[in-house]
Amino acid sequence: MTSPISGRQPQAVRSALLILEEVAAAGVGVTAKEISAALRIPPATTYRLLNLLVAEEYLVRLPDLGGFALGRRIANLAPAALSAPTAARDVMRRLRERVRWGAHLVAYDRHRFLFVDPDPDHPPTDADELARHPHANGLGRLLLAEHDELPDGPLARLTPRTVVDRDELKSALVDVARTGLARQCGEFHAALGCLAVAVRAPGDGRLVAGLALTGPADRVAAPNTELIELLREHAAELAPLLA
Amino acid sequence: MTRIPVLRSRSPVAGLRRRSLRPPGVFAQSVATTAPAGAMASTPLLVIAAAGNGALWSFAIAAVLVGLVAACITVFARRMAAAGGLYSFTAQGLGPGGAYACAVAMVVGYGMLVAVTFAGASWYGGALVARLAGGSDALAAGAGVALVVVLAVTVAVCAVRGVRLAGRVMLVIEAVSIGLILVVLVALALTTAPGTPAPVGAGPGPGGLDLGGIAVGVLPALAAFIGFDSAASLGVEARRPFASIPRAITATAAVAAVLYLVATLVQLATPGGAGRATSPTSGVPATVGDLSWASVLMDIGIVASFGACALAAVNTLVRVLFSLAREGVAPAALGRTHRRHLTPAVAVWVTVPVPAAVVVVGTAAGVAPATVFGGLVAVATLGFLAAYLLVCLAAPRFLARIGELTGGVVVVSVLASAALVATVVVVVVHASTGLLITLAGLLVVGVGGWFVLRRRRGPALQGMGVYDETTTADVLAAGPR
Repeated sequence: MTSPISGRQPQAVRSALLILEEVAAAGVGVTAKEISAALRIPPATTYRLLNLLVAEEYLVRLPDLGGFALGRRIANLAPAALSAPTAARDVMRRLRERVRWGAHLVAYDRHRFLFVDPDPDHPPTDADELARHPHANGLGRLLLAEHDELPDGPLARLTPRTVVDRDELKSALVDVARTGLARQCGEFHAALGCLAVAVRAPGDGRLVAGLALTGPADRVAAPNTELIELLREHAAELAPLLA
Repeated sequence: MTRIPVLRSRSPVAGLRRRSLRPPGVFAQSVATTAPAGAMASTPLLVIAAAGNGALWSFAIAAVLVGLVAACITVFARRMAAAGGLYSFTAQGLGPGGAYACAVAMVVGYGMLVAVTFAGASWYGGALVARLAGGSDALAAGAGVALVVVLAVTVAVCAVRGVRLAGRVMLVIEAVSIGLILVVLVALALTTAPGTPAPVGAGPGPGGLDLGGIAVGVLPALAAFIGFDSAASLGVEARRPFASIPRAITATAAVAAVLYLVATLVQLATPGGAGRATSPTSGVPATVGDLSWASVLMDIGIVASFGACALAAVNTLVRVLFSLAREGVAPAALGRTHRRHLTPAVAVWVTVPVPAAVVVVGTAAGVAPATVFGGLVAVATLGFLAAYLLVCLAAPRFLARIGELTGGVVVVSVLASAALVATVVVVVVHASTGLLITLAGLLVVGVGGWFVLRRRRGPALQGMGVYDETTTADVLAAGPR
């Protein structure tokens, strides 16, 4: 149904970008008429482009249906360089003093991972790499379990131990959702594993971040009851600081 | 210039699996409700009976009208996502009165459509079983009743299990049955066509073009399209609803139009061909000797298509009831969702037995399947036409309210409304006494319900038309990051 992009509609693209800028400048609640008047774009064209931008979720309509605001997807265009509040960094520092493994704090922005406080002594894997293979790492599995969905394409086999069977992954995700703990042993890097727990907003229980410990794969496989308890305590402390 | 927006942190229709259904699932919902497989096998015969060689014109007129209605529906579908579909849309343009009328029309339309599919599956399936087993009418009726019970249970389970599963099931069933029926139609054309050149509306065929006949043929043609709007009730659950739902609605209307035109062409080219192939419409007591591979395939395709349509219509019906319950207009229990599957499970278990019982009782009472089926189709079609009319009237008023009215929409709305009013008038004028009594009864119940609700739940009526509002989480920098 979609024809290949010919790039022959520069005016439409330009107008769409102008509309985005206009909504950003005018602020929350600006109406289609106001946008059309401000940019001198014919009303019908403005309405069509606005609907297109709403359909793609770069803009949202406010509950009165007449006003517009920037949508969350805009954030993908200019990723905010997130840094954790000082209080949260303190929590992470205390955690690192008590464990010998790498401790990382990762914020979720839709399906992207942002390291807000990576362990300086144990540099983590690249965030985009983790987000690309969510099935094979603890932080990704937390996110998948939260949205109750599997990745679109085939599951890449990163190591011999990676779970690539969709049903097997699905039952693993059910466990994650039930226990609130995602464990992965040698599925991303053959030698490493990780334990990850969710950091949830205190009000609505939304998943805002993941707290992960990475260590040798065989050690991660052990029950680690005390370690997990420690991880959960710190995640609970982080929740009000991040949400 | 800017207003301070009041954003909720939770959508009023929370509880459904929000923004998770992919475009194929949304498309499947609309296609399955329209059930083009069953319609393309049976409707062209009805239209040809009315319009003769003008049948193509009847379908073309119906397709244009459906296109206009689709344009009015997408005015809303591009701007809001609702679980109640058309009636939630109407509320934005016509207020509570229009919304209530549209909700009643939808409940009648979709409720009857579920009954139609049960009746159709029982009729075609029962006849098929009886023919294969060489049995009598009694066996056909017994098999038909058994089929209704099995179908009702299956549909209810699938509807509770979730719209994602339902979408996958429906898409496969519909694709297979359309394929089966296309194969049969093309085979018929190849085996019968060579002597007779197709008189495609051109030249003086037998009877020539009859304008009155064409007009009468528009109604059954229109009935073949009903349900193409049903994706609109998945607004809450669809991923990127403002893109996928308008696309699903227009694509369904377009695909159905093409399939019907092709089916009509083939059946015009092979007079009596398709009539021979579908057992129940031929009315001939078939013996095992009559059994041709084509008719069996076609009947299986039709029964499967009815099954998918039942599931799709239930999906929409329960979401309409769910939405009404969330507004406080319907009992609150209907607004409860399944804890794990996140579907309006209570509404499913309450609604599915009703149409199943209607069909079972009708069959047990000895009413001819064709009578049950025909009566239900007529009422369902009128329900849908009324809902379409209201949404077409609402579109320009809604756009004027939010300040996005354009001339094109006004023209489309006026044309569509006028054509729909004309169609409804024609139907009512030609209606049988039974249908008129049914309509009058529904009208009395609907109007009475309005007055009762206004006294008991006035505020709920005023608040009709809840939809999946933008929440703080959707707006950049409005909520907690």
